Amino acid sequence: MGARLTSVWRGVRAVPPWVFPLVAVAVVLLLPTLGLGFSATRQIQLACVLALLVSGLNLSLGYAGQLALGQAAMYAAGAYTAGLMSVAGVTDILLQLLAAGVVALLVGLLTGVPGLRLGSWSLAMTSFFLVLLLPDVIAIFGHLTGGRNGLSGIAGPSLFGAPLGDASYYVVIVLVATGWFVVMRNIVVSRHGIAFRVLKQSPVLASSMGISVFRMKLLGYALGAIPAGLAGALFANLDLYISPESFGFTLATSVLAASILGGSTSVYGAAVGAAIMQLGPNQSTAFQQYALVVYGVFLIVGGVLLNGGLARVFRTLVARWDRAAGLVGTPPPDPDAAGRVQQMHGATLEVTGVEKAFGGNRALRGVSLRAEPGRVTALIGPNGSGKTTLLNMICGFYRTDAGRITLGGREVQGLAADRVARAGVARTFQTPNIPEGITVAEAVAAGRYTSERASMLSAVLRSPRFRRVRAADADRVRRALALVGMAELALTEAASLPLGMRRLLEVARALVGEPRVLLLDEVASGLDEGEVERLAATVRRIRAAGGTVVLVEHNFDLVLSLADEIVVLAQGEVIAHGSPEVIEHDPRVLAEYLGVRPEDLGDRLAEGASVLSQEGR
Amino acid sequence: MTLLWSGLALGAVYALVAIGYNIVFLSSHTFNFAQAQLVMVGTFVAYTGLVVLRLPVLVVALAATVIVMVLAGLEERFAVRPVPDHQTQLVTTLGVATLLNGATQLVWGGQPLTVPFFGGNDVVDLFGGRVYPAEIALLVLAVALVVGLSVLAKRSMLGLALMGMSEDREAAALRGVDVRKLAFWAFAASGALAGLLGLFVGPKTYAVATLGAALALKGFVALAIGGFGSLPGALIGGLTVGLVESLAARYLGAEYSNLAVFAVLLLVLMTRPSGLFGRVTERVV
Repeated sequence: MGARLTSVWRGVRAVPPWVFPLVAVAVVLLLPTLGLGFSATRQIQLACVLALLVSGLNLSLGYAGQLALGQAAMYAAGAYTAGLMSVAGVTDILLQLLAAGVVALLVGLLTGVPGLRLGSWSLAMTSFFLVLLLPDVIAIFGHLTGGRNGLSGIAGPSLFGAPLGDASYYVVIVLVATGWFVVMRNIVVSRHGIAFRVLKQSPVLASSMGISVFRMKLLGYALGAIPAGLAGALFANLDLYISPESFGFTLATSVLAASILGGSTSVYGAAVGAAIMQLGPNQSTAFQQYALVVYGVFLIVGGVLLNGGLARVFRTLVARWDRAAGLVGTPPPDPDAAGRVQQMHGATLEVTGVEKAFGGNRALRGVSLRAEPGRVTALIGPNGSGKTTLLNMICGFYRTDAGRITLGGREVQGLAADRVARAGVARTFQTPNIPEGITVAEAVAAGRYTSERASMLSAVLRSPRFRRVRAADADRVRRALALVGMAELALTEAASLPLGMRRLLEVARALVGEPRVLLLDEVASGLDEGEVERLAATVRRIRAAGGTVVLVEHNFDLVLSLADEIVVLAQGEVIAHGSPEVIEHDPRVLAEYLGVRPEDLGDRLAEGASVLSQEGR
Repeated sequence: MTLLWSGLALGAVYALVAIGYNIVFLSSHTFNFAQAQLVMVGTFVAYTGLVVLRLPVLVVALAATVIVMVLAGLEERFAVRPVPDHQTQLVTTLGVATLLNGATQLVWGGQPLTVPFFGGNDVVDLFGGRVYPAEIALLVLAVALVVGLSVLAKRSMLGLALMGMSEDREAAALRGVDVRKLAFWAFAASGALAGLLGLFVGPKTYAVATLGAALALKGFVALAIGGFGSLPGALIGGLTVGLVESLAARYLGAEYSNLAVFAVLLLVLMTRPSGLFGRVTERVV
């Protein structure tokens, strides 16, 4: 980029980002007064309707990670609700929008609950089924809906008793669409949007952070029904005639194609995708017979090549120009945040006689351990000895066959993973699990999703409570990042970090939720020396602040230097426990864990060998 | 009884689609949205071969098998293999399904076409009900396939490799199974099956461009009832769906048949989400 272009770009980036969509809306609103013809304004209105549908799908597909094909059915539900109200004499557009949104939400909830019970394609199929059912349902209520002949006799819309003309209805459609996009944008940039991405990345990660996977998926799918309902009401009042044919498979795939084109994980991508689809191919009647072929090709090519859609292309370009213009700054260092850990309210984790078998493989046989606040309890053992299995049992990913697990005296075995997490168990993963497309600061902030509540409604309305929680999130995140030495990386894309950094990020993420016990699963592997030191310092600070730490680790030296208590597992049993000094010289540990046989013991380990010979006596 | 036969035969069609889903699902854990559309293309090829070109049955059967197998192979190569995650594969295979829907509509039009059954159209009396030869053939075919494939899966080297791959793709690869090749051929085989089925399904359902969506959904319900990956489950699930659909259409009215199937789906998902024969696996971090 040339110097002039860079300065132009700097100027563009100095403008607050919300100005651009605002200008776009203003232009669209003014278009009719600039002499745009009837058919063109109609296409813009249809594009707004389609954009609402696509936006709803994005919430489900792009954010909650669930392919749903029922947008067409929710759309029909909204359209028939509005149409029937109008026929019954209720023409107020606000009332119709409200009712249509509620009806669509109910349809979403009703079909989402069973649809989400099974794996990824189950919701896709259940919601797709709705589209197939539509003509039948409309036919069953034929005396009301007009059946296949369609519903006619819809009166023109009104607002507060005054009829709306074509020009003012145009404004209504554009404003309703805009209003929804503001809502959508506020949800997506809030912690709930981040929680959606966590869920999409990995349901395991989401539940380990206290997010209920089922509820969150349902929320994404059901909320996505609302704009479809609104779109239906708008459409019914636009044409004043609706028939089952408007809501078939062609529409369902058209919505999906527009979503893939614009970028599913994007707010404004929905508007762009819908606009291109509506003003491009959908406009021509000659296109109709080729519509399915073209949508099909769109879905294949979009899925294979254009992963992330136009939104991704756009983001990549912005990032590149930002770099060229030297706009990628690092946040200023925050001297008073560095290195301090607030008082932590650690709780005693007690595992008593836990058993677990996978088929005939007895992974854990009567394992007990006790981790106390202000102490680091290390769990070591060879591969396959059951360390990670035990961690997974504590977190609630596996059910115990027998035994008790308590946290601060409260039984947590048998609770679902998200509830265990909400009880105060935070963990890191052997393979760092970090959602794509979010910054380091956002990824860390996700760890606080359940520790302080701020409802989705408060996020939409930007209420004082939402702002306060957001400020608290930012503060804690800054401190946690400073603690692991990553403050300067706060605005980097999290998933692009090297392995060691991603591990430290997970530690920070586990820490911000102020857990009562912190489980670190092989957190030092893949770290360079400097990072290991920083990690060790962090763990010591957490201990000093009163946190309970359970450390699963292969790095024996690190364990010896950090742990207050070491528990050694082998073949699913605890073979030794005690202070590092005791474990370091325990002959069974040396044999099992380090693979050292007593007769091979060198001078350094002679002491251990003598213990063995004493025992043998 | 006539009604039962008709319902069971329809159920056999759904079971056959569900078996196709299962073959691909077992080999690569991919859900091929377009499986039913492949069967639909098979019915159209059967129509063109038997009615328009008046070719011998064997030639038509071979042509349908090969054409649809090639289509399935192309789908695997261009819409499934390059796509890393199953979620996006849903989108791309749905794309293939849409493409096939649109293409058949362009080539064969929107009207239902009658596909004659090569075994004759004379109604047979069986157990006090009247049944078409094509319906008997469908039932026999579905049962034979389930039995045959189950034996194949347990006894043959190929079947064992497939099962191993289904269990753990990486481990199978390390044991010398060419997982890529096997996944491709499983896809192609499900296509070949779908093509051949066209000759049997067409006489029962007509060749029509809306067949794909209905078959896809009912085949899915069959799978949900029986449990994903289970062949006997697919058969029982399919027959259940067929019976429910026929009985509902007869006693409640045609517009209730899909609703009844949907109600069954919801019921199964709410009470036994892993299906009758499905396995529940514990999650692993």
